[in-house]
Amino acid sequence: MTNLKRLTNALLPIVAAAVVFLAGWKALVVIANYPDWFLPAPEVVAQRFARAWLDGTMWRHASATLVEIGLGFVVGAGLAVGVGYLLARSRLAERLLSPYIVAAQATPVLVLAPLLVFWLGTGLLPKVVICALIVFFPVAVATMVGIRSVDARLLELGQALRATRSQVVRHLELPAALPQILGGMRVGVTLAVIGAIVGEWAGADRGLGVLINLARGSLFDIPLMFATLATIAGIALLLYLVVVLVERALVGAWR
Amino acid sequence: MFRLLRPLVVLSLLVGTVACQALPGPSAAPVRLTVGLGFLPSVQFAQFYRAQQQGYYRAAGLDVTFQHEIDPNLITLLGQAAVDIGMADGTSVIPAAGQGIPIRYIATVYARFPSIVMTAADSGISAPADLGGRSLGIPGRFGSSWIMLQALLASAGLNPDDLDIRLYPDFGQAVGLQQGQVEAATGFRNNEPVQLGLAGFDVTVLDVDAITPLPGPGLTVGESTLASKRDAVRAFVAATLRAMDEISADPEAGLEDAIAVVPELGSDRATQLAILEATIEMWRTPYTQAHGLGAIDRDAWSRSLEFMRGLPDSNIPSELTVDRLVAEDLLP
Amino acid sequence: MVTLASIRLDKVSRSFTVAGATLPVLAAVSFDVPSGGVTAVLGPNGSGKSTLLRLIAGLIAPDDGAITIDGVPVADADQRVGLVFQEPRLLPWRTAADNVAFPLELAGVGKLERRERARALLDLVGLAGFARAYPHQLSGGMRQRVAICRALARDPQILLLDEPFSALDALTRERFNAELLELWQRTGVTILIVTHSIAEAIFLSDEVVVLTDRPGRVAARVEVPLGRPRTAAALDSAAFSRAAATIRSHLSGRADDLAAHEAAAAPIHDVLERAGAPAWFDPFGGGV
Repeated sequence: MTNLKRLTNALLPIVAAAVVFLAGWKALVVIANYPDWFLPAPEVVAQRFARAWLDGTMWRHASATLVEIGLGFVVGAGLAVGVGYLLARSRLAERLLSPYIVAAQATPVLVLAPLLVFWLGTGLLPKVVICALIVFFPVAVATMVGIRSVDARLLELGQALRATRSQVVRHLELPAALPQILGGMRVGVTLAVIGAIVGEWAGADRGLGVLINLARGSLFDIPLMFATLATIAGIALLLYLVVVLVERALVGAWR
Repeated sequence: MFRLLRPLVVLSLLVGTVACQALPGPSAAPVRLTVGLGFLPSVQFAQFYRAQQQGYYRAAGLDVTFQHEIDPNLITLLGQAAVDIGMADGTSVIPAAGQGIPIRYIATVYARFPSIVMTAADSGISAPADLGGRSLGIPGRFGSSWIMLQALLASAGLNPDDLDIRLYPDFGQAVGLQQGQVEAATGFRNNEPVQLGLAGFDVTVLDVDAITPLPGPGLTVGESTLASKRDAVRAFVAATLRAMDEISADPEAGLEDAIAVVPELGSDRATQLAILEATIEMWRTPYTQAHGLGAIDRDAWSRSLEFMRGLPDSNIPSELTVDRLVAEDLLP
Repeated sequence: MVTLASIRLDKVSRSFTVAGATLPVLAAVSFDVPSGGVTAVLGPNGSGKSTLLRLIAGLIAPDDGAITIDGVPVADADQRVGLVFQEPRLLPWRTAADNVAFPLELAGVGKLERRERARALLDLVGLAGFARAYPHQLSGGMRQRVAICRALARDPQILLLDEPFSALDALTRERFNAELLELWQRTGVTILIVTHSIAEAIFLSDEVVVLTDRPGRVAARVEVPLGRPRTAAALDSAAFSRAAATIRSHLSGRADDLAAHEAAAAPIHDVLERAGAPAWFDPFGGGV
């Protein structure tokens, strides 16, 4: 099968689903005769979307949110891999840390966000912290599971070859756990988008979460609100694809 | 024969129920109205509580339910007729109508715009021009306070970028002012300045009434509700204005009615009375003296429309006129 | 060329503690492996063959007794030893060449040198064209060859193999046995191979150490009187079947019976061999 054929085969169900979704949306608007300020039709949203990007409104807010997501993900995932490794290899660490980690995960981010803004202000920091918190759990758990499931026979090979601890981590454990870790990152990166928006709702100057509130409550521009939602969904999808591509590059060759 | 009996009974019950709903009985059922006040229970709504307590709504054949949520969707709900009447100010009504949401402002409640900037009495800031380069606390860069701020600064040739804006998403900017974190803060004329004054912290108030006469919160209705419940809405307006008139003459009576509905207000009568008196002050301007309580100042609306059209990021179409924004024929 | 080394086991014992109970696995095992030779260790499951290899490799320590290589006691993960496990245990995310180079990389050898050594070794086992292939693209047999190359990467004096061909089919196994001998001839490394297969043990080695059931003890050390180089024909010789019979008897404990049996049968075996009868034909019906 040629690459082009494979690509079309992969894209076809996605395009078909999108078409069905848009057609259903349009039908709903037409049949129920909804006005633009209640449920705008797809083409109205598309026009507003294009205009918002062209006049720079969307990018001004999207860039702020992207920075929050990027920093939050790097910090959260970085910490998570380290802690996940510790939890995997040290029963003591697992017994001590698990309750706190689970409790932090169980507390809804919507509740934590205003508290963090209260303590840390309305700048970049609280949003990065919220994103990092929300990314932490899935990546840490994935790392822990991945490291624990490393084939013991490979570790014996490492022993036979006199590999140092850091060599074992770098050459044996992390590569073996990589598929699991990247799987956790897929989940984490989409959650990071939610974290950034929630953080902005708790107090921010710029960002897609701010733009949603502005569009809805100040400008009463519902098509803009939908266009912003589309941008958020697009960003989440894009980030997910990035992780998938990274996974394919790092892991695809040898699976 | 008996097999027919059951479906027959069900059928007649159904018909009877439908008939009862369709035909007006000898004493017509009261018209139900949901009213979105847009804020938590407060002594500021004393006129509504009085009209409720004294039975003015009931006498007019109305069954009124109040909603006290801070809902950013209130305007949209009015447009959909999911809520019948709501409190909204010009800075919301204008952009909403600009987006095609079918609502009308039918009675002025606050003739003076409530959103103001306050500064410490000894800070030396007594005019908008003095704000240049100073720090100012505001909940966020949106809403009526943001529009008010832009109008205030524009009169001195400034814009918000000339200030050091600090965000207080928890609405604690007044506390920030009191503690010296910021040199100025936004607030509501009948709320923070009153409470700060009672606490011994005197403030200077800067308002936009003389600069850009932004229309304060008033009764707003969706066009479809106007069409279907016109008489009920008119009766509501009349009853509410009557209560406002009575409270203006006797604030203590208004306070009693408020406490009857919201008992928590009784825990600090002195403060609540001060707030109520400040609120009453805002119901009255030279215009309402001349044209009656609740009168709508078209000129003010017109100038505000021009102002908002000129703001950056504004989306207000040029075809929008004051005729699309207000309806004066609901006033007594 | 490798420097040769001999292995000496002196009354080596080892037990494991499982769920509170002590399980003796090896009891006072003693034997020598001459340098440059091939020795096979044969025994039933549970005889501690794998444990024996790990003791010699230095992965675990004996409870009693001593193991020396060239007179020097075995060190922790002794690098004089190259270990080939039962499964290839290749790193799936590395190419064949990178897998072979892995021990060199861990030891800090430079990239160019590593690559050259890996290529040379893969050449030796006939996998020159597969240097860039990933393990999932190779057959089981090819993977095991890569594992053997990896074990030889650091020029060990001794090559230990733990039932390396047990996962292969019988025909491939025979071929790999021949290839291992070729490799041995080219490198001259001392080989100790643990195996289940009597035929494999005899074909490859100079001496077969037979272990008993748990706890493993040396039941016998059977010399293999076949000449080198070993050919496929050797598999059908009388000497082969005699050695096999001896080994089998030690495994099943019928050693005394078989000695008598053999003494009676010897002249007839010679007659039959000269007549060209196959080794499996036993006129006394005892079975080989």
